[in-house]
Amino acid sequence: MIRRGFQAVIRLGHHRVLPGAPHVLPRLNRTSAFGSSTDSLVSRFCLEKTDLKDYALPNASWCPDMLNLYQEFLEKTKTDGWIKLPSFKSNRDHIQGLKLPFGLAATSDKSDWRIFTRCLQVEGQGYEYVIFFHPSKKKSICLFQPGPYLEGAPGFAHGGSLATMMDETFSKTAYLAGEGLFTLSLNIRFKNLIPVGSLAVLNVDVEKIEDQKLYMSCIAQSRDQQRVYAKSSGVFLQLQLEEELSQ
Amino acid sequence: MLRSCVSRLRTLAVQRGLPGGAPLPAKDPWSPRVNPGAGRRERAAKPGCVRGDPRSFSSEVMHMDLSLPNPSWSEDMRLLFDQFMKKSEDGSWKHLPSYKSKFTQETEDIKIYFPDAKLMKEKLSQAQLFPRSLEEGLGFEYAMFHNCVEDRTVCIFQGGPYLQGVPGFLHGGAIATMIDATLGTCAVVAIGVAMTASLNISFKRPIPLGSVVVINSQVDKVEGRKLFLSCNIRSVDEKTVYSEATSLFVKLDPKTRLT
Repeated sequence: MIRRGFQAVIRLGHHRVLPGAPHVLPRLNRTSAFGSSTDSLVSRFCLEKTDLKDYALPNASWCPDMLNLYQEFLEKTKTDGWIKLPSFKSNRDHIQGLKLPFGLAATSDKSDWRIFTRCLQVEGQGYEYVIFFHPSKKKSICLFQPGPYLEGAPGFAHGGSLATMMDETFSKTAYLAGEGLFTLSLNIRFKNLIPVGSLAVLNVDVEKIEDQKLYMSCIAQSRDQQRVYAKSSGVFLQLQLEEELSQ
Repeated sequence: MLRSCVSRLRTLAVQRGLPGGAPLPAKDPWSPRVNPGAGRRERAAKPGCVRGDPRSFSSEVMHMDLSLPNPSWSEDMRLLFDQFMKKSEDGSWKHLPSYKSKFTQETEDIKIYFPDAKLMKEKLSQAQLFPRSLEEGLGFEYAMFHNCVEDRTVCIFQGGPYLQGVPGFLHGGAIATMIDATLGTCAVVAIGVAMTASLNISFKRPIPLGSVVVINSQVDKVEGRKLFLSCNIRSVDEKTVYSEATSLFVKLDPKTRLT
């Protein structure tokens, strides 16, 4: 029995070292204070075998800063326990087989719905971003490059686009850290403007989980951390999704 | 016969709002409007109402006012729009036009805060104002009205299928964007060019995708260059409160560089 357990550990070790292999955590214990554990949420969320297009991958519009930092974090997915989150066209694609609790589910199921942050699909035009999540530290890092269609003040990203990116990063973090589903509140203090086409790094931490609510904080800054763009806090409501009954 | 043709053409010119003719009457919302008076900036010569006038634009580019009904607007949206246009007839309310790009006189004003002219020129050529960068009906469909007497701005908003968050509902970020846009407009109308310093939003109920909501915003307090504003988002019948927000906007100082 000990040998079998040991062999399982070695297999795990091999799996993590393989270069370029997608990082998948094994299914650990399912029980936690609220429904599913982070690991089971992550493995269900990050569909490995899928035909769906992953938009959180480098493309020609990414600036050098973004590409470099992306590579850095990709390395960390092999060694430090980070996971690169895929980003599909619709949130529905991330939760296949699951649905909102009775009373909240949308009455019509339109296939042309798109998640807001992937609404502009021409490369470099709108939101270019990728989120890395660390399950045990319950933190996320989002690399965000706003395109010219996100303009507010001339040459700079609209405040609403940064608010959106913060809400989106909070949203994915909240869901994977504790089944947080709906934003309850967002408090953003803007400090400096983000030039269109440049990289902003968003660091999100889960501060606490209490009373069916997840409390998170975020700081958006330049890569060298010399310039802080904004600081924010967000509170999300925990709500368990239900299994869709097969028909 | 010639005389009757000429008079018929003149009537047509009046109806279509061509230069020299009067603008289209409010009852005909389906034709795209082109604002007359191209090239000349209307300085705040109009007493009272709108000081930071967002209507002026350059003569080089023709603009379509996007805050007018189009086929993607639902029945609710059109009804609300008509109600507000009716209220605008006596001058207490004013419809605020909204364009895709910011090639406006307002941009000329803003440029003094961003002296990196070369960079700006390149970026400006591809840029689009964020809430207007999606195709008709897919993203933000909205129109804003300003009440000159009570000094508040109302935005009627219909969120399209590309603004999804939780499936079936609007993305929190899309709601935050509209709140920022409405409060921003309210601030600009009150004190001229201003920027968001902070936003504090409380979400009460999720907004279903495709539904119409009303954003009521107002100025709460002015302290020097600081402007405190608040708003709430309600359903058309005003019975449901979806969100509430407070914010701080700061009037830009020409002496201070922002970058």
